[in-house]
Amino acid sequence: MNYQTVIGLEVHVQLKTKSKIFCSCPADFDAPANTNICPVCCGYPGVLPVFNKQALKLGIRVALALSCKINDSIYFERKNYFYPDLPKNYQISQYKMPLGEKGYLELPGGKKIGITRVHLEEDAGKLIHKDNYSLVDLNRTGTPLLEIVSEPDIADTQEAYDYLTYLKLTLQYIEASDCDMEKGSLRCDANISLKLKEAAELGTKVELKNMNSFKGVRDGLEFEEKRQANCLETGEKIFQETRLWDAEKSKTYVMRSKEEAHDYRYFPEPDLPDFKVARELIEEEKKHLGEQPLDKYRRFTAGYKLSGKDADVFVQDSWLGKFFEEACGHFNRPDKIAGWLLGPFLEHVNERGRESIKITPQNFAKIIQLFCEDKLNNLAAKKVIALCINTNDSIEGIINKEGLAQVSDSGGLRGFVDAALAENPKVVEEYLAGKEQAMMFLVGQVMKKSKGKANPKVTREMLEGKIKNLKSDK
Amino acid sequence: MEDLIALTGTQIAEQINNGKLDEGEVFSFFRGRAKKLNASLNSFVEIYEEPVGAADTRGVPIAIKDNICIKGKRITCASKILNSHRAVYDATVINRLKQAGFKIIGTANMDEFAFGSSTENSCYGVVKNPWDNSRVSGGSSGGSAAAVAARLVPFALGSDTGGSIRQPAALCGVVGFKPTYGRISRYGLIAFASSLDQIGPVTTNMVDCAWLLNVLCGFDQYDSTSSQAAVPDFNNSLVDDVRGLNIGLPAEYYGQGLNPEVKSRLDETRAVFEKKGAKFVEINLPHTEYAVAVYYIVASSEASSNLQRFDGIRYGLREKASGLKDVYFRSRAAGFGAEAKRRILLGTYSLSSGYYDAYYVRALKVRRLIKEDFDQAFKNVDIILTPTSPTPAFKIGEKTLDPLSMYLSDIYTISANLAGLPAVSIPCGFTKENLPVGMQLIGKEFDEATLIRAGYSYQCATEWHKYLPPMIAD
Repeated sequence: MNYQTVIGLEVHVQLKTKSKIFCSCPADFDAPANTNICPVCCGYPGVLPVFNKQALKLGIRVALALSCKINDSIYFERKNYFYPDLPKNYQISQYKMPLGEKGYLELPGGKKIGITRVHLEEDAGKLIHKDNYSLVDLNRTGTPLLEIVSEPDIADTQEAYDYLTYLKLTLQYIEASDCDMEKGSLRCDANISLKLKEAAELGTKVELKNMNSFKGVRDGLEFEEKRQANCLETGEKIFQETRLWDAEKSKTYVMRSKEEAHDYRYFPEPDLPDFKVARELIEEEKKHLGEQPLDKYRRFTAGYKLSGKDADVFVQDSWLGKFFEEACGHFNRPDKIAGWLLGPFLEHVNERGRESIKITPQNFAKIIQLFCEDKLNNLAAKKVIALCINTNDSIEGIINKEGLAQVSDSGGLRGFVDAALAENPKVVEEYLAGKEQAMMFLVGQVMKKSKGKANPKVTREMLEGKIKNLKSDK
Repeated sequence: MEDLIALTGTQIAEQINNGKLDEGEVFSFFRGRAKKLNASLNSFVEIYEEPVGAADTRGVPIAIKDNICIKGKRITCASKILNSHRAVYDATVINRLKQAGFKIIGTANMDEFAFGSSTENSCYGVVKNPWDNSRVSGGSSGGSAAAVAARLVPFALGSDTGGSIRQPAALCGVVGFKPTYGRISRYGLIAFASSLDQIGPVTTNMVDCAWLLNVLCGFDQYDSTSSQAAVPDFNNSLVDDVRGLNIGLPAEYYGQGLNPEVKSRLDETRAVFEKKGAKFVEINLPHTEYAVAVYYIVASSEASSNLQRFDGIRYGLREKASGLKDVYFRSRAAGFGAEAKRRILLGTYSLSSGYYDAYYVRALKVRRLIKEDFDQAFKNVDIILTPTSPTPAFKIGEKTLDPLSMYLSDIYTISANLAGLPAVSIPCGFTKENLPVGMQLIGKEFDEATLIRAGYSYQCATEWHKYLPPMIAD
């Protein structure tokens, strides 16, 4: 039958603040276990939370980037539940009055995915399970989180993947979060249900947890989509429940049913006052927004005339995108710059590591320009890139030192051309017999003799001319 | 040294400062008294061998209610659940006391987690009233009030959530002051109900009270609910002048349930003020009848959440158990007393989904109406005069089987907490059985100064605060 998939995503991202959301401990949980902790984040008796305004600022920035309505006054609430990674046994979160509401995220295809709400909360700690006991690391407790809840607007699993990709890019662009799912700075839960295409009512939704990558989200949703479709086909009941994705076994299984769902007993956090979200603060954060990934994608495809695939690479890799744009500023051939950046340059970057790259976009542009002006041939240009990418030494210096300047004058090439012809009479014969590839071989020979400096175009012309003369001589 | 009992706290401080008294001898004297008389009163949980305070200062002894953190010292809230927990930091008020030179003599007994009006809910047993050892001291700061009344220490700190400083002060014949919500930092006070709790001084007289308030009051960056309002020097309010002061008499506080002897003492109190030139105005606080119900919903709701951190995981009592839930169940079952369990259940119920709107939300609405009653009344009066407690000290065990009648003993004090207003209980005479009676003065928000002026003026005209319990006179 014809089913429509309905997906909503709940994403938690860690905000990039120096300190935790309600105390002054460093928000760096990579430190040795239980070293970045204090009485406040450990929930010791008598402690009180103090709201980190930097978390509010970053939250506002995200809400703005997602075109949310920002509430004038916000407050925190307590979400009550017992768990050893939550030392107060309640999480300070937002419930009735979130920071932002009613926004959207636009995908490259033009579809807008609604954002229901964006709210601030504190993270819990981490449990490390051993054979018959568990250890608690509270370093992460109290790091600021932003929960971003989408509307059930996502229509298929790839769209879920694209939504996550663009959400991550958006947050990275505005430097609100690292969004590294492997490190846990981005976490995603999903709600998925199926309905008949023409049905107005939504089907029974299942909450899906425990996905550790964007691919895991897509795979888990795909499995769930098939499972639910199968249930609908066979008339099996779909229960409103929470299921966990098992990436190894590639299946989902029940974690808890609706009946076991928590009653979190939310109520306003009495230890914190209401916070006014000042207009000036919002205006200030607008300045940090800059260009959004989708705008950049459109600029790169429409402005620089790059392919969608190439543009995507630059949009996803801001550093590379910036390098590209600066290089284009020095030599306005975006197609060539992009080709060389995404080809030989990227190969070096991947091999040697981004930190080791010293070459400036200006010098890089100069190499491409020399190539385009026939002053360096392909091989030589690659060599120059390889030689100065970690040093940013003067391009001319390298070309002179290595003798890489392309030889384009017939005087300089004559000796090599003559020698190549003299040494390969058979090949010349083959060429004359109509074998085009023979010419490639001869050009290669001249290249070799010139140590790669010969201008292949001029070389070919000279070879062709000489052979023509030979022919007429005969 | 016996004449130390006849001196006020400020007089002792003055004599230490000008060298007439030796600080060490003063401490030894009170420590000796506390050690000796505590056997019959049970007002201390712990009496320190050495004073706790800044080493290079000279100062007067003070007792601290056992729910305020003193770094390195045991803190129990008179509950078994905290077991042998030692505070890992100083409460802000402790820092302030140390800076002002006070020497902490020990921790005062209380109702478990401040849940109670008689200090019968302490895991260390009931605090006896110094005026009659068969009677309760009131609560929950019964230890603080009894210790000051019996002159075991000149000063004590209590905490007041629904009358927990004022009611025991009235029952023990001392001065107990609950400042405006936000005046004194709650950082380091183990929370009962965060939106109601205030720390405050227990002293024998208004001069000592003003002096201690000067030390305690002021903004604290570690308490987001603490006020930035300027704190006047309360010593400037020690002025014997109430001419033209408009004092409100709320009809609702003088009706059914008020002990006739207490009413007579209040009538006499009124006469004293009138003689000194104050004017009395009949006022109405129409929502008073709902105060106790509202209080037990709001306070218990907050308490149920605040007490969740006592779970046997990181500190405090952990019972032998198998598995996580069992740790929670067994530790909390063994650690909390009956009244604590009652309030946790009451609060959990009020916050539960399906009941939240009917109880918690509704209680908050009525709380606002109670506040508005006071706003309205204070348009016409400067302060309000009421009894502190409907009865004098009752017999130990008299109300333990009837929680509701126990809850009603706070009927006159609860509203000031719900409205966040400053209020003080001042001794105003005795019953025929020689039991102290207290009056309560309630002031406008952040107008502690007027309460101090009125209380001081009253004490200039009366001697009630100078009477000593028979156990001392003997």
